[in-house]
Amino acid sequence: MTAPAPTPTGPGTPTATPSPTPSGTGQVPALQAGLAAEHAVIWGYGVVGAHAGDALLPQVRDADDAHRTLRDDTVALVARYGGTPVATEPEYALPFPVTDRGSALRLAVHLEEGAAAAWRYAVAATDDVAVRRAALVALSDAAVRATRWRLALHTSPATVPFPGD
Amino acid sequence: MVAVARRSVLIGGAVGAGLLAAGCTAGGPSSPAPTTPARPDPLLAELADERRLVAGYDVTIARHPALRARLTAVRDDHAAHAAALVTALGPAAPPSPTTPAATDSPDVSSGVSPTGSPTGSPTGSPTGSPTGSPTGSPTASPSTGIESSGGRTRVPVTPAAAVAALRAAERAAASARGTAALTATPDRARLLAGISASEASHVAVLA
Repeated sequence: MTAPAPTPTGPGTPTATPSPTPSGTGQVPALQAGLAAEHAVIWGYGVVGAHAGDALLPQVRDADDAHRTLRDDTVALVARYGGTPVATEPEYALPFPVTDRGSALRLAVHLEEGAAAAWRYAVAATDDVAVRRAALVALSDAAVRATRWRLALHTSPATVPFPGD
Repeated sequence: MVAVARRSVLIGGAVGAGLLAAGCTAGGPSSPAPTTPARPDPLLAELADERRLVAGYDVTIARHPALRARLTAVRDDHAAHAAALVTALGPAAPPSPTTPAATDSPDVSSGVSPTGSPTGSPTGSPTGSPTGSPTGSPTASPSTGIESSGGRTRVPVTPAAAVAALRAAERAAASARGTAALTATPDRARLLAGISASEASHVAVLA
């Protein structure tokens, strides 16, 4: 297939281009859950970038770019499986006030944890191997980014046993 | 400050919907019977690998106590993975026989002296792996990256090489759990995917 696959950047995770298969079920709801989360995360990274400080801006931009690529790829996948991609909300509520570098980093952790939860749900919501693989890559990438933000925050431990719980 | 709260909590909507739907999926008609009589449960191999990882961290910490602060939380993640796999396996789960995997004790007697050289380990080898690669490629054991024979585990001599071996083991583990998740039942796929993602994040803290 020629359509782009969701960013297969996770370490140690298999990569493949998902293609529609008639045998699988649940692809569209699974992908829509991930897509809805990506919309929220991209909105949230706008807030992160406004408060994270210059030193962290490259890292914020990298994360934001990765999520935008994943969003675009997921939109294409939903359409390819016959669904209408969910749209972004005009605004989202912040889980806590974001006023400085520390709270911006905590929001970044929160965003990636939310993305991990949505994509982990997506893994279980479909039996389509290609969509599961894409969701797994997205889940792993979110878990890795959450860990990197925790490291920047000097949060210990920086990892969790079950990202997306 | 963003004022208007159009949704109750950021991304809470998607996740909440997901949890509700996940409950339906797990109990859906596509769920197979909980036990497969003929073949061993595939989760047994994942459990064995998680226990090897715990043991690998234990012997590494015993060999290189300076790494304890860095490695203990990761080691505990693997202990949680093993415990969750035991729960998922149910009665099919074997007890933790000879490895200290299921215990919380970081001190193990596995042929490694905390202050001396590992028994039988040649002092000239930086890694203890057959290839002598200092990058810690998991040539001895594809699943853990820690060479083990005769019930004894040899840890790379330098802390950097030991961490590199663990990093390679985490990559292999993330890949194995991820592959297993692709064809598992929904609830097991969720578990294995979470473990795989956790192991991917371990690579970041071992970098």
